[in-house]
Amino acid sequence: MVSSSGVRERHDMSLPSDVVACLKWVSHPGEPHDERFAGISPADRSALEFALVQAAALGTTVTAVTVGPPAAEKVLREALACGATHAVHVPVHGAMHSAHVADAIAEAVPDARWVWCGDYSLDRGTGSVPAFLAARLGAQQALGIIAVHWQGDGLVATRRLDGGRRELLGVSPPAVVSVEGATAHLRRAGLSALRTAAHAEVRTVHPAATAHADDAVVRAYRPRARALAAPVGDTPLDRLRALTDSGAAVAARGDTVTLEPAAAAARIAAALHEWGYL
Amino acid sequence: MSASTTDVDVIVVGGGPAGACAALVAARAGLSVVLLERGPFPGSKNMYGGVVYPRILDQLIPEWWLEAPVQRWVTRRSTMLLTDTQALTVDFRSEAWGKPPHNGATAYRPDFDHWLAGHAEAAGAQIITSTTVTGLIRDAQGAVIGVRTDRPDGDLTARVVIACDGVNSFLAKEAGLYEHTDAKHFTLGVKETLALPKEVIDERFGVRGRDGVDIEIIGATGGVNGGGFIYTNLETIAVGVVLKITKLGAQQQRPEQIIAALKQHPAIAPLVQDGELKEYSAHLIPEAGLKMMPKMTTAGMLVAGDAAALCLAAGIWLEGVNFAMASGMYAGETAVEAIAGGDTTATGLADYQRRLSDTFVLKDHRKLRRAPELVLSDRVQHLYPTMVANVVERMFRVDNPNPKPGVRRILAQERKRAGVRRRDLLRDGWTGFRSFG
Amino acid sequence: MSTVNPAEHVSAHPAEILAPAAWGGLSFQERMATAEFRIHHQAHIVVDGSVCEGCSTRECIVACPANLFVPTSDGGLVFNHEQCFECGTCYLVCNKEGAISWNYPEGGHGVVFRRT
Repeated sequence: MVSSSGVRERHDMSLPSDVVACLKWVSHPGEPHDERFAGISPADRSALEFALVQAAALGTTVTAVTVGPPAAEKVLREALACGATHAVHVPVHGAMHSAHVADAIAEAVPDARWVWCGDYSLDRGTGSVPAFLAARLGAQQALGIIAVHWQGDGLVATRRLDGGRRELLGVSPPAVVSVEGATAHLRRAGLSALRTAAHAEVRTVHPAATAHADDAVVRAYRPRARALAAPVGDTPLDRLRALTDSGAAVAARGDTVTLEPAAAAARIAAALHEWGYL
Repeated sequence: MSASTTDVDVIVVGGGPAGACAALVAARAGLSVVLLERGPFPGSKNMYGGVVYPRILDQLIPEWWLEAPVQRWVTRRSTMLLTDTQALTVDFRSEAWGKPPHNGATAYRPDFDHWLAGHAEAAGAQIITSTTVTGLIRDAQGAVIGVRTDRPDGDLTARVVIACDGVNSFLAKEAGLYEHTDAKHFTLGVKETLALPKEVIDERFGVRGRDGVDIEIIGATGGVNGGGFIYTNLETIAVGVVLKITKLGAQQQRPEQIIAALKQHPAIAPLVQDGELKEYSAHLIPEAGLKMMPKMTTAGMLVAGDAAALCLAAGIWLEGVNFAMASGMYAGETAVEAIAGGDTTATGLADYQRRLSDTFVLKDHRKLRRAPELVLSDRVQHLYPTMVANVVERMFRVDNPNPKPGVRRILAQERKRAGVRRRDLLRDGWTGFRSFG
Repeated sequence: MSTVNPAEHVSAHPAEILAPAAWGGLSFQERMATAEFRIHHQAHIVVDGSVCEGCSTRECIVACPANLFVPTSDGGLVFNHEQCFECGTCYLVCNKEGAISWNYPEGGHGVVFRRT
């Protein structure tokens, strides 16, 4: 919750957990209106497992958070059965912008030191909630992580780059980490833990008025439009070539330059801009 | 065992119709009940040959028809006899069945079973899904005192375990309630759920609104003994076959090929044409009735539903869900009384057998005990359809200038032509009369 | 994961006599794709192919409604657990002791029916 002075206040409903796992309730693509087939994605299951492992190592607790319809409570109970300490449900109906979801989570767990999220959800999400969340919490972000190595109070996260390359990110709290599916195998909840979790408390935190459900966010997926200059060429074939980058146009792009990192980054940005990707 | 030493009063294994009713009854009586379901939700592993007859639910859920997730009310029942080129149909319709209190209904089992288990949950039973029971826990005397599951920390103890774990019932086998398991006693049901627009279904099957049709077919399964079925859902139809599993290998015919052949039959093709396959499924059926039934009770445990082979596969009567619901209900009632009386030994639970014997659950099976074998016999499967269809064809064929032959003469000639001995025909007729009459 | 494409080996069955049209224009793979299977990495049914080498009937190959038993060129048998209906037909028709060890998949996994 943000006060009029813009200073983040401690939410009186906030929970003591340092480690938070964000779980997104998604419906099954084949049965969009059937709760029996809804659940969380493999990526979120991995996120929960990382959160549980980390909390155990740090000697702290885990809060599982979900922003979704009433039925989403089911996954929170499963998280509790797996070992999460607290569960927070932010009830919303309908789809929401990622930014608003991040707002709601940040309100629910303003003091989180570590936030674990799944990367892309099953319902073709954009994977952007973690980024918004990092911004809201003023935390570091490590997104799309495929492996985690614990290191002291922090961790080193591995991220996929093009061409099979990897980058290693040193991450320290506060941080938001989003992991791909199958990076960790969520432990199986014990039977008595499941029975207890069925009656455990799930705290409900209603989102602030600004974080309302958005009706108009479900759109057909379209790549961003690229502005292209009119093709130059004397014949239709030449103009087609110019438009489709086939032939010589491509060859002209293959610059190989050796630059200092800062200059290289600027050159790449310039090239991407020139080609219409930015 | 006393209450303080067990985790719960009753464990129900399996969230199908038997388990849901058992849990419902026990929970309503105030017992602590855990229902363990291995699928992600009750009903997710369940499949059947089409029609549920929920009359017994009058005793558990008054006016169940107002809320049950039903596809269509069966108002038209047909029994078809097929040869390669002929079809003889006995067709019955009843307006009454389309109105409360109804008779039979088509329903998707993942919907129906889920709904029924919801009633058990509402009554206070705790349903734990995605949990497979892997075995029994028994005390030193061999009495069942709980189950093992595939979850960590997965043992659970109870005063009574009600095994509703389906046709393969590993629990009933582990408890030694089945003397032996014989592949001859099982049939395999395979079916296709085909999507068609509701108007097309209504038109092809001659029904309106929520009225639906159930067609049972004999002679449609090639060399493999069995039967076929077609029934209507709201916007899909189901077409499938029930096959004697020991005959598949012998005939070198695969299940889906037999469905494909049925769908190509001239009498069936117009009904199923252009249906888009939505789901292909398969499930075993305990077909042999009384012949295969286990002991229903042992110390600390009762068996109900398919796990107890309580499935009636008697030609024109094909019922299972009603037997499952009823046996589950009686198992629940027995558990409640035994726990109240403090005796959950085999003696304390013996009343279950009496409840089954005194009601349709075993009365129908006793009455029809010869029917499953007769219906699946080689003569009924392979000889009689041709014989009967030829008799009818000759009765209706106008063979002028020849005069009409007498029915008795046709019958005698066609019997010989089909290679049926008079004494076998008489014997089968007598068996059929005694069973069905 | 399965290394055998069911659609490729289905025509190898001696019982394969029907024209493709009889299948409603669907390959067996497409047929199986209509059912949902939540696959567990561990096989719930394990087939000891060496026991099957001495089997002359091999009824499982024909009887399995999901067509999961695949004969290998060296006389053995390969079983794919992924698209199993968990029906039990295979262990019932099997006449070789110890060939099939049959269990249900871990809770929550395996076939999930919807319109059955």
